[in-house]
Amino acid sequence: MLYRLLVEPFGFPFMARALTEAMLLGVLGGVVSVAVVLRRFAFVSDALTHTVFPGVVIGFMVAGAGGIVWGALVFAVFSAVLLTVLSSNRRVTEDATLAILLTGFFSVGVVLVSRRSSYTADLTAFLFGRILTVDRREILETAVVTVLVLAVLAVLGKELLLRAFDPDGSAALGYRVGLLDLALNVMVALVVVAAVKAVGTLLVIALLVVPAAAARLLTDRLALLVGASVLVGVLGGWLGLAVSYHASVYYGLRLASGATVVLALVALYAVAFAVGSARRMVSHHAPAAERA
Amino acid sequence: MNVLAEGYARRALVEVLLVGGLCGVVGVHVVLRRLSFFTMSMTHATFPGIVLAALLGLNLYLGAGLFGVLLVLAVAWLWSRPGANESSVVGVVLSAGFALGVLLLSAQSGFTKDLSAYLVGSVLTVQPADLVVTAGVGAAVLLLLATLRKELVLGAFDRGGLRALGYPAALLDIVLLLAIEATVVSAVPAVGVILSVALIVAPAATARLWTDRLATMTVVAVGVGAVSGVVGLVISQQARVSAGAAIVLVACGCFALSWLGAPRYGMVHRLLLRRRMVFA
Amino acid sequence: MAEPTLPLTPPPALHFEHASVAYGRTPVVEAVHGDVHPGEAVALIGPNGAGKSTLIKAVLGLVPVVGGRITVLGRAPAQARRDVAYIPQADTLDPEFPVSAGQVVLMGRYRRIGWVRRPGRADRRAAAEALDAVGLADKAGDRFGTLSGGQRQRVLLARAIAQLPLLLLLDEPFNGVDAVSQDALLDALGSLRAGGAAVVVSTHDLALAHLACDEVCLLNRHQFAFGPTAQALTPTLLRAAYGGHALVTDDVVVAQ
Repeated sequence: MLYRLLVEPFGFPFMARALTEAMLLGVLGGVVSVAVVLRRFAFVSDALTHTVFPGVVIGFMVAGAGGIVWGALVFAVFSAVLLTVLSSNRRVTEDATLAILLTGFFSVGVVLVSRRSSYTADLTAFLFGRILTVDRREILETAVVTVLVLAVLAVLGKELLLRAFDPDGSAALGYRVGLLDLALNVMVALVVVAAVKAVGTLLVIALLVVPAAAARLLTDRLALLVGASVLVGVLGGWLGLAVSYHASVYYGLRLASGATVVLALVALYAVAFAVGSARRMVSHHAPAAERA
Repeated sequence: MNVLAEGYARRALVEVLLVGGLCGVVGVHVVLRRLSFFTMSMTHATFPGIVLAALLGLNLYLGAGLFGVLLVLAVAWLWSRPGANESSVVGVVLSAGFALGVLLLSAQSGFTKDLSAYLVGSVLTVQPADLVVTAGVGAAVLLLLATLRKELVLGAFDRGGLRALGYPAALLDIVLLLAIEATVVSAVPAVGVILSVALIVAPAATARLWTDRLATMTVVAVGVGAVSGVVGLVISQQARVSAGAAIVLVACGCFALSWLGAPRYGMVHRLLLRRRMVFA
Repeated sequence: MAEPTLPLTPPPALHFEHASVAYGRTPVVEAVHGDVHPGEAVALIGPNGAGKSTLIKAVLGLVPVVGGRITVLGRAPAQARRDVAYIPQADTLDPEFPVSAGQVVLMGRYRRIGWVRRPGRADRRAAAEALDAVGLADKAGDRFGTLSGGQRQRVLLARAIAQLPLLLLLDEPFNGVDAVSQDALLDALGSLRAGGAAVVVSTHDLALAHLACDEVCLLNRHQFAFGPTAQALTPTLLRAAYGGHALVTDDVVVAQ
């Protein structure tokens, strides 16, 4: 039964490719989401996903399907820089500025799309992705981005940790906090670019927040946090695809794969929530000897 | 403008005026309490409620509203847990709600033209009955906010002080969150799930750059909201682009211009001030 | 009148020369003038808003000096950061953050470790010794946020110790700290001073200043005094600096 659900679908080449892509994204998202959650950056990341949208549209208009990634890349990096710089005016709080920026950019994308005749079809592809149609080249692109981001995190890991935990202390030690922030924003932007074909710009935020949020409910220790987050990311991708296939083949329900992946991630979060709460209740009843 | 003489266009005009005004008033509270991300999450998470209401043939406010109430309570509960990471909770709720909406839409024989209506609004298809409901909900929210005005303002600046005075701060917070959700539900038909946060936040944020006084800020926010609605609508008719997007771009444009040029708090003014200091 | 100079006196670790410090246009603190020598402890005393934190940030090179000069270990502030340790108030840090006390202390070694490389055995040993110096060797594996306020402050001092600094800047380290932790902090600071490090502590606890510091810099937007504790903390000066909010009874002074 479980075999039928979890393994059988991936005998098909297109499903196997989708799974590879989903797992790569699970690793990428899992790792970067730790930074997003620890820095409490969910909104900035959400903003980045929306500001990339016009880039996706322009890339498509200029160079067809292959242009999407490049358009996304340009806008992603540009937005990352813009967002890093934009906290200079403290009068209006950062989060209001972010909300306005992201909807403004998004509206530009909508305006561009609305002038085309194939409005709805294009819109859905950009926004929700088409993971079932990824080809080898796209998987390779995702793999490259994953390796790149992992390398950057390996190099900058301890400095990013320090900055997240103690920004004043890191400035006092001589680190350029602005540049570290820029590095993080660019990495989030790269995740969005990598994920845009598979899950689209609107669902990628789940990949950037849910894995680490779930992992955080289970553990206090950084190393375990990263591991658990990657696990959740990968499992979510796998389960989501399996459910989407199963629903389509056995129940005739066409469920968007991007959406099922996200809901699988959220389900894992719910499980983590339950486990975390249960553990907390148990530890409250246990003798307090450990907490000396 | 001949364009606005048509019946549907006139209804659309009334709708954007009502919604723009309501969003302006509620937006002031959102900006003061830094609830922009929460509002964003509500707009996305209410999406499945709206889809469900449409699928089941329920009235929008009934279906989406009920869903919205549960949503607000869920978020409030999750926030109250020890060690809760607020921004992550909001991110998870946003993702879950939005994915659920996408799922429901795709299950209903794949994506249809309805999708763009949900995402970016379809103000031109608003019916007279919808206008009445929007006006009613708007009036109720405004009455509520006006009655609780001083408590809400105190709570925004000094929650501890509010509690010390004996007010049920948590209850007041939830009331405000519900008011925001009601506004979101009324704004979504006009500008859609993704853009409605702009209509709520941009006019109020614009007003914030021009004045320190709450009353003035509210008036300016209402004005900017209403004007954005009208101008956006006209632009969308002339340029034949999405109405929701046009309205939001006008609102964001107002903010951008104010961010640069407002006296005292605008960028240009602050840079000039610094320049003058250096040579002083 | 020539001041007598002893050829064997080492240069000051921190030298303020009529320094004024500002974020924008209006100076936050003005006319700070004095020296902190290796092995000495100076208390920055003043009411809230006096500019103590800003002055500390200026010593770190994070706030511009708009008048006069600040010399840190013979160099400009920004150049000396490697040898200067900053200890912030523990409650400015997120208690939910998933780091252990040991990991926090290790952060003090990052500059020494440099970019890219990971902490080595020597670094871990230094971190362990630093934690031991503040009496928290057994808490290395505990999450930072689970420790008490005083313990967290000690961990932050251990982080500074691991950095092997020549100058330490502490921002209100004794606020809300229990007696045990306060003693541990004072002990550790004493050892650091004996080892030749200079210490600057901002505080509004006058008793502590008398107890632990050689000299005091009395400030409230500008300097009222910089000198040995007994001379700088006279009732007159205190009243002037605190704007009449100091209560004086015989030798005991309580500032509000």
